[in-house]
Amino acid sequence: MSGLVLKDVSKSFAGKLVVDRISFTLEKPGVYGLLGTNGAGKTTTIRMLLGIITKDSGEITWNGNPVDRKIVNFGYLPEERGVYPKIKIIDQLLYFAELKGIDKTSALASAQKWAKRLKVEEYLNLPAEKLSKGNQQKIQFLTAIIHNPDLVVLDEPFSGLDPVNTEILKSIIIDLVRDGKYIIMSAHQMPTIEEFCSDILIMSRGKTVLQGNLREIKAHYPANRVHIDTNQDITKYLKNFEIENAHDFKYIIKLKNESSAHELLQKLVADKVNIEKFEIMKPTLNDIFIEKVGA
Amino acid sequence: MNNIKDIFTVAKFTMRDMINRKSFRISTIIILILIIVGFNVPNLLQQFASPNTDTILFVDRDDIFAGNLNTLKTNSELDYQAEISYDDDETIKQKIENDEINSAFVIEKTNSQPKIRYIVKNAATVSAPQAIIDQLNSLYSTTQLSKLGLSEKQLATLTPNFDFTIEQTESEVIGGNISVMMILSCVLFFAIYFCAFQVSSSITVEKTSKIIETLVTSTNPRSIILGKTIGIGLVGLGQMLLFVIVAIFSACTFLDSELLNAMLDLSNFTPYLAIITIVYFILGYFVYALAYAVTGATVSKPEDIQSANTPVVILTIVGFYLAYFTLMNPTGDLNIAASLLPISSPFCMPLRVMMGVASVWEVRTSIIILIVTCIVVAQIAIKIYSTAILNYGNQRGIRNLFKMYKEK
Repeated sequence: MSGLVLKDVSKSFAGKLVVDRISFTLEKPGVYGLLGTNGAGKTTTIRMLLGIITKDSGEITWNGNPVDRKIVNFGYLPEERGVYPKIKIIDQLLYFAELKGIDKTSALASAQKWAKRLKVEEYLNLPAEKLSKGNQQKIQFLTAIIHNPDLVVLDEPFSGLDPVNTEILKSIIIDLVRDGKYIIMSAHQMPTIEEFCSDILIMSRGKTVLQGNLREIKAHYPANRVHIDTNQDITKYLKNFEIENAHDFKYIIKLKNESSAHELLQKLVADKVNIEKFEIMKPTLNDIFIEKVGA
Repeated sequence: MNNIKDIFTVAKFTMRDMINRKSFRISTIIILILIIVGFNVPNLLQQFASPNTDTILFVDRDDIFAGNLNTLKTNSELDYQAEISYDDDETIKQKIENDEINSAFVIEKTNSQPKIRYIVKNAATVSAPQAIIDQLNSLYSTTQLSKLGLSEKQLATLTPNFDFTIEQTESEVIGGNISVMMILSCVLFFAIYFCAFQVSSSITVEKTSKIIETLVTSTNPRSIILGKTIGIGLVGLGQMLLFVIVAIFSACTFLDSELLNAMLDLSNFTPYLAIITIVYFILGYFVYALAYAVTGATVSKPEDIQSANTPVVILTIVGFYLAYFTLMNPTGDLNIAASLLPISSPFCMPLRVMMGVASVWEVRTSIIILIVTCIVVAQIAIKIYSTAILNYGNQRGIRNLFKMYKEK
């Protein structure tokens, strides 16, 4: 099978099972979402698939072969950001590129290309300690992709970035997928995961609690909210509903079933209430995540 | 093959990082200046020291020396200026008070017995000038013998001029100069200690700055730990050689050749000893550096590095003192044991070689033990490092290290 396959992968530390028979597959280029609360076992799973720690059992294969640093060209942006504070950015980039087997000329060209894209080219000859946290993070991202990896693991890639830099990173990730890269993304911002990932896996206490295609997962969940925008107070119509949020004649109400929403709409129309928006909403990934691991 | 390439990539990067550090450059320059200044100290002291103008007055009241005291005035080998007079005590005291002379020897007879009185400004600040008293005794003997009318040949037989040699009962000849040995011993200790300590601090910096996560996905822990140890070791060896070269150059340039020969007998410093010293530096450094790498990997905060390193520091100091003190008896069993024990042999064996007391089999055995220790420590260090480097929190203590060693 092509791509990345994890099958029944487990890991224990000092007798405590921290990853319990995790399985997932990336058959084609794209972004796969690996979600979970803190301590769910995401980092251990990532470290096993990157070969940093050995698994106790299970299989991890890349294009049908057991995953090994020698056969898979990895790129990794760890959650714990780190740079050599006293060393020039360009020297750090060339060092990591050389360790990944890239010759100096290609590494330099790649560093300059990505630095320009990430808008950090003027910092290449500065020591890392002179850069802001956001720019250091972009340098780390550059380190993860400088060697043109096939498989990229991004752990919280957008945390700490301002909206402008977030957009820059997003556009690069989209381009990486277009270039046929396999990306595993771990993030706590659910909208980001919804934006990029077609398939997800949610972990809790080392176990898989939900996994599959995001669209299919959401399709299985009935609508649970209605978003209503009006220009008048409609509280009297909402006595049988739980109001989640209400301000400026904008209401979000929770639904017990979808038919109650239709009845509400009929009442509002019959009473000639001026409705600007009436949207029956499916649960967000955030709702699903909280339902699965929040209890 | 890739591993070897990665080891050298890490070593190259570590060397560049170390050499580019401001603290490293400044400390190297300061030590070089101290070496150059140190070898100029005798010259500087000579420059600032006032020429020896001690003037000593000799008064031979009863002509005991029959005018032979005048030979002191013409003797250029004396470190004082001799004056001869027949002044009375009052005049002598006056001259001393007025700093015209520093002191006076009054030789006179009391009850037919020759007697010397030594007059100084303050008796509390001086001790008896035994060398001058010996000169006067010798001069007196010569004067008395000359009165007997003996021939020069007879006189020569009466003057003792013994040819002095030392012989030993032990078969091993101990060579070497104690000052050279002390310097060599201290240089080896500090070079090994400081370089090995650098490995620990370099690993801690990578861990606490979180760069380690990226590093361990770029290459394996074996390449990191070995590359780092080799890189820092090469810089340390280069620095040590630079210090030694500058020290030898300074000694030859600035020191008076007589003083140089008196202070440092370099006749035992053969190319063989140089090679042995470098071999022991490299092996000793590796054993300690790998041990420091483990402690460096277990630290989560930079401020904890000192306390984490304490057990290895104690081991280093014990090894050094074991070598140092047993060298007082270089042919004793304890010193032989210290030259074989891997914690002390790097500080001990080069000195035994210098003294010429180390047999070939002792050197070979010691090197083999040290190499085996290096390999064992490296295996343990790589295993513990691989686990410890990605874990944060308290990981110190033998039990925790053992757990990490057992972990897959």
